[in-house]
Amino acid sequence: MTTVNTSRRISVAIVDDDASVRVSLQRLCEVFGVSAAVYASGREFLSSLDTGPRADCLLLDAQMPEMNGFELRRRLIARNVDIPTIVFTADDAPELAAHYSATGIVAYLRKPLSSDELFAAIERAVSGSGTPL
Amino acid sequence: MRPDAQRDVRLLPVGLLLFALISLAGNEIGSVLRYPDVGTAVLFPPYAALTAALVVSPRRDWIGYILIDAAAHLVAHFPGWSLSWIILASAADIGRALVAAALLKRFFHGPPRLDGTRPLCLFVTSAVVIAPAAGATIGAMNVIVHVTSQPYWAVWSAWFLSNALTGLTMLPAFISGFAYAIGTSHVHVSRERLIEGALLGLSLCATCAFTFLGVFGRQPLALPLYAPLPLLMWAALRFGAAGASVALTAVTLSAIWSLDRGTGPFLSVSPHANVLVIQIFVLFTAVAMLWLAAIATAREAVAQLHNALLASLQDHVAILDGNGVVLEVNDSWRRFAEASDIPFFHRVRAGDNYLAACQSSADYGNVTAAGVLAGVSSVLSRNRRRFEIEYEHDHDNRRDAYTMIVEALERADGGAVVIRSNVTTRRQAQMEIEEQRRQLSHLARVAVLGQLSGAFAHELNQPLTAILSNAEAAREVLRRRPDAQQHVAGMLDDIVAADRRASAVIHRLRALLKRGDRRIQVIDTKLMIEEVLELAHTELITRRVEVSSVVSPILPALWGDKVQLQQVLLNLILNGCEAMAATTESDRRLVLMAEIDGPHSVHFAVRDSGTGISPELMDSLFEPFVTTKPDGLGLGLSISRTIVAAHGGRLWAENNGGGGAIMHCVLPVTEAMHVTTHSVVMPKFAAVRDE
Repeated sequence: MTTVNTSRRISVAIVDDDASVRVSLQRLCEVFGVSAAVYASGREFLSSLDTGPRADCLLLDAQMPEMNGFELRRRLIARNVDIPTIVFTADDAPELAAHYSATGIVAYLRKPLSSDELFAAIERAVSGSGTPL
Repeated sequence: MRPDAQRDVRLLPVGLLLFALISLAGNEIGSVLRYPDVGTAVLFPPYAALTAALVVSPRRDWIGYILIDAAAHLVAHFPGWSLSWIILASAADIGRALVAAALLKRFFHGPPRLDGTRPLCLFVTSAVVIAPAAGATIGAMNVIVHVTSQPYWAVWSAWFLSNALTGLTMLPAFISGFAYAIGTSHVHVSRERLIEGALLGLSLCATCAFTFLGVFGRQPLALPLYAPLPLLMWAALRFGAAGASVALTAVTLSAIWSLDRGTGPFLSVSPHANVLVIQIFVLFTAVAMLWLAAIATAREAVAQLHNALLASLQDHVAILDGNGVVLEVNDSWRRFAEASDIPFFHRVRAGDNYLAACQSSADYGNVTAAGVLAGVSSVLSRNRRRFEIEYEHDHDNRRDAYTMIVEALERADGGAVVIRSNVTTRRQAQMEIEEQRRQLSHLARVAVLGQLSGAFAHELNQPLTAILSNAEAAREVLRRRPDAQQHVAGMLDDIVAADRRASAVIHRLRALLKRGDRRIQVIDTKLMIEEVLELAHTELITRRVEVSSVVSPILPALWGDKVQLQQVLLNLILNGCEAMAATTESDRRLVLMAEIDGPHSVHFAVRDSGTGISPELMDSLFEPFVTTKPDGLGLGLSISRTIVAAHGGRLWAENNGGGGAIMHCVLPVTEAMHVTTHSVVMPKFAAVRDE
């Protein structure tokens, strides 16, 4: 089991339209000492950027109604928001991975996420070694 | 036609020779049967001989017969008569026969068959009225010029009458004889017929001797005139026009002979008047007898057709009268009735009472017999026009399926026809088609679900994600703070909920993917729509299609197979999505509508905002293997229509006024659906496709 370096409390933003996924991921992060803010849609997350402090890392669901993960990622780039992003998907289509890597993300994970994978990716994202895939 | 032509060539000499003999003899007889004072024959056989020869032979042979006829005239009359007389007489004879033969060939195909009122009328008009009149016109002229100075019309009518009489009495027999001699007609004569014919001939000879020749002494008055009538009728009824013709010729010849002998009923002082009386007597008798023969022949033909038709049927057929007595059965029925291991009511033959047979089988507990009894009774009593029953029957160690149809006979005496068919093969084929249809339907469903596989993965992975995250969090919490039970309880609750959700997804998948018999049930229409939309939910999101549903608040329940109907709706929705692949994302709108359509049905419609259906595709849209998708099977809509039709509904497509297409589907509601599961379980695939 990976333990996250807690010298500084890491914060992540989770965007997923599915409440159960959203809540369980938040719970997992909190238990492992990572603070997590949750957003039900890309729009919700975008508006949070104007008000609150920015999270260290974005955990983004690829498939969402209205604005999907890919589109949110594009908008962030357009707004010059450089936030390390981990995309996860419940779809196992391989073409999606290629799709996302073009937008410069840290990790592309497949649901269900194992905590090992997730925190390794988060660590990679926040340690600056978050070189895009 | 080739063998016939060869036979003609081979038989032509035979025909010509035969004709030459008849012509010579005929001319002699004609001379003998002359009117006492005008020199015109009472009966003129050469007319019948030449006409018959021409009628039964091809036109290219006519010249041969005509030359022989002319030669016979010459031989018969040359030393006695002037050449000019002979030439004119030949012209009259040949012209008359040509007219008769040409007309008869025009009205009849092949030798004339006097087997009805209409053919008889045509024959009489041609050979008894027009041709004799034409011959008389020339012949009377000849007689006036060369022989006598009588009034033209007197001679004309004498000529006409003698030829009309010949046409009526001798011609039918001559035609049959010639046709038989040159092989264009074949008659099989049984021994019984020969005996009957001989008996008739003897009786006729005796009667003629009695009536005309005074063999048994002079008879008072003209009473014996009627003596030949029963025998003529016998000939007409039993031996047709040819038989009647032979008998009439015999009677006529006897009557003419009686004049010479001064015997018989024709006892006028003037020989001329006597001849006229004979001619008129024979003329009217002949018309009546030939008519009788024609009707008898027609009746015989109808009976033969009836028997041939019955014999040709594979199905077992029995005809019942109004009381249920079997009037007639066909060969198939008879053969089946002879089988050993069949119930009593299948063994009935002509003369048995079918109702009584069914009753006694029913009394022994045969359920089918009881059903048949009820059905046949209701048809015989005119309570219904038609009754149909299907049953199985063990026979020769195998089980056969039968259909029995009882149809009322439309006639004054009532009755019914019972038709029993062995439908085992047909039913097996039907079951095979049904099985294939089921496999195809399953294939199409798997194909549709294949399209949704990504969506299903997403559907399943979402709850699995939650379960896993919660479980891992719980484990971590318990590892760090073993006392935090409340925390753990909440997490476990969530795990349970998510797990149920995953299980529900799997359950739905299984229901759709599973191959099995149809389950006919009452379907909650609204619930069915909701489930379909749920199934398609993720796919619609992925395809960026905005979906809305316009569903009436109250929808009546449907009756049928829920999985199949969901397959249809899912197919229509996915087709709609497919149609909008090229549409701008913001314009991809799909509307699912469901509303009550009259008291007996629900109308579903799926409207998309795609490109619509091209006119050339519109007609073949529901045919199998018609597709616009590069990887599509083209079975979705064809199977959907089959499913809908099997549920007693209709599925059709149209283009939307504002672009895109609308697929309509009307399905009957529970109340309107007859609870004959049969029509739902066994749809006829081919019949549906033909719509």
